[in-house]
Amino acid sequence: MMARLVVLARLALRNLRRQARRSILTAMAMVLGLALLVFTRSLGDGAHETWIKAGVRLASGHVAVMQTDYLPRRAIEDRLPAAAARAALDALARPDLAPLVEAAAPRLELHGLASSSRGAVPVVVYGVDPTVEPTFSQLDARLAEGRPLAPDDRLQAYIGVGLAKRLKLQVGDRLVLTTQGVDSTIADQLVRVVGTFRSGLPEVDDGIVHIPLRTAQDWVGVGGDVSSVAILLHNSRETERVVRTLTAALGAVGNAAAIPWQTTTPELDSAVKLDDYGNYVFHFVLLLIVALAIVNTILMAVLARTRELGILRALGLQRRDTATLVLLEGTLLTTVAGLVGAVLGLAVTFGIFRHGLDFSKFYSGEMTAAGAIIDPVMIPLFRLDHMLQNLAWIVIIGIVASLYPAWRATRIEIAEAMKFEG
Amino acid sequence: MTDTSRAAVRTDDVWKIFEHDGMAVEAVRGVTVRIDPGEFVVLAGPSGSGKTTLLNLFGGLHRPSRGRVWVDEQDISSLSEHDLSRLRLERIGFVFQAYNLLPILTALENAEFTLLLRGVPPEERERKVRALFEKIGIDGLEDRRPSKLSGGQQQRVAVARAVVGEPALVLADEPTANLDSVASGALLDVMTQLNRELGATFVFATHDPELIARARRTIRLVDGRIASDTRQ
Repeated sequence: MMARLVVLARLALRNLRRQARRSILTAMAMVLGLALLVFTRSLGDGAHETWIKAGVRLASGHVAVMQTDYLPRRAIEDRLPAAAARAALDALARPDLAPLVEAAAPRLELHGLASSSRGAVPVVVYGVDPTVEPTFSQLDARLAEGRPLAPDDRLQAYIGVGLAKRLKLQVGDRLVLTTQGVDSTIADQLVRVVGTFRSGLPEVDDGIVHIPLRTAQDWVGVGGDVSSVAILLHNSRETERVVRTLTAALGAVGNAAAIPWQTTTPELDSAVKLDDYGNYVFHFVLLLIVALAIVNTILMAVLARTRELGILRALGLQRRDTATLVLLEGTLLTTVAGLVGAVLGLAVTFGIFRHGLDFSKFYSGEMTAAGAIIDPVMIPLFRLDHMLQNLAWIVIIGIVASLYPAWRATRIEIAEAMKFEG
Repeated sequence: MTDTSRAAVRTDDVWKIFEHDGMAVEAVRGVTVRIDPGEFVVLAGPSGSGKTTLLNLFGGLHRPSRGRVWVDEQDISSLSEHDLSRLRLERIGFVFQAYNLLPILTALENAEFTLLLRGVPPEERERKVRALFEKIGIDGLEDRRPSKLSGGQQQRVAVARAVVGEPALVLADEPTANLDSVASGALLDVMTQLNRELGATFVFATHDPELIARARRTIRLVDGRIASDTRQ
């Protein structure tokens, strides 16, 4: 059986070499197809990683440790006890998790009003750790005026330019924050604006206030409790692993749970999935064209070799052997072309475009995706799993596209084939 | 040397009817014949007399519409496709009018192809083919592709391919039709020699008077029936 397969593989290889021009032309279609697939997929993966990172930086990170009941209402009553927050931070410092984590930020999220002498507007106040926040959030880097929060700050606030404009505030001015404390009483906090940020997103610039975490905790009387510990990872693909490890580490401490970004930021997850579907359609059309090229080449090769296949059958080759021969030709062609295409795709993607494709000329303002500002330079990302998938797809397509010609080869009647003048 | 109790090929009232444009065409009509091992037989007759069809029935390339065919005493009429292919590989050698060598293989590779499929070790294959090439006068051409061989040389390679596996039966359809008289005569010498020295059973379908003259038995077909069966 194996010996016969070797014979057939040798024949297949020689047949491909005999029709070198046709084989090369078909292979070129596959090479370019796969190279384009590698390029677009790597660029798509890079773009998604950028979107995700930008999105989770403005939200709750790749993973958020919070009370299981916190998400729907985001109410202060469902806050994370200090012990649970501490347990999460301790777990993140472990050797198995620490290398995966870029930053971990305990935050207290409060909903209330910001008022000045010129009026009052609804805001979301984040109590943040000024030592961690610059690593985590993009807002510190988007300073418009003044400065971001500093570690020694106590009654300072860092606010959006939209909010400053609406309340007619300048750096150095004071504003009053009002929210509901844990005992259901209304609590005010006077803070001074030390800086403003411009994110480019109206909902952020008009409605976000950062104050020091300790100030926020004292203001509403929650002691060391927080709303969540937001965790930023180096790589979004580690999200599931970190969630799994953290869940095991946390146990039942304070009813805490590790929640992935897909749950805390569903609009971002939807945007990535939607874009993925668009890419799938493009890739499907691309692979369909490649498949048609293979069908055409292999079928033409079978029809042109009707007499030869008849001879092989007359000499004792089984019907299934002729099918195997044709399948081997298709598979060999696609595998070689696939490998060359992958190398070409990688060379173009990470050789020529390793610094990314700059889309800034197509956007006059900030480039956003799913409520996050993203870098207009799309940097391709290499993913081994996607590369292997691409290769697997091309080989599967080679086999599937060869099925019909292979079936045709089995239908050849020997005596009729001998009359064929092809 | 040869077992005369076993026929190399025999038929019993065999018919082959083709459907052509809704019409039944009887190409072979009730042929009963027996060819013994070691015979050198010609199926002769005018075009359309059923020579090639009968040859194809012998070789299992056509299935009989009626009647039965035995090769080396094995009834091939009801064999599965798989078993028929195996029988062709192990018991029957073919020589075709248009040589029909595989263009992607060298002369040696073409000749050893059936041995390769039968799993014969490489050294044995090469030894057999080289010996045969020497016997039939094409030694030195082993590494040439068919396109680099003359018609006569190609047909000798085809003959080598047909006999190298020592089949019970060698079937040759108009083997000299594409050759000039010199090449044709040389090829017939080779086949006569192989018949004599190896005891290979040859059955030819031909118009060639020279080949008919060399045959020790001539079965003349007319309209799909045996008109005469003469031995020299």
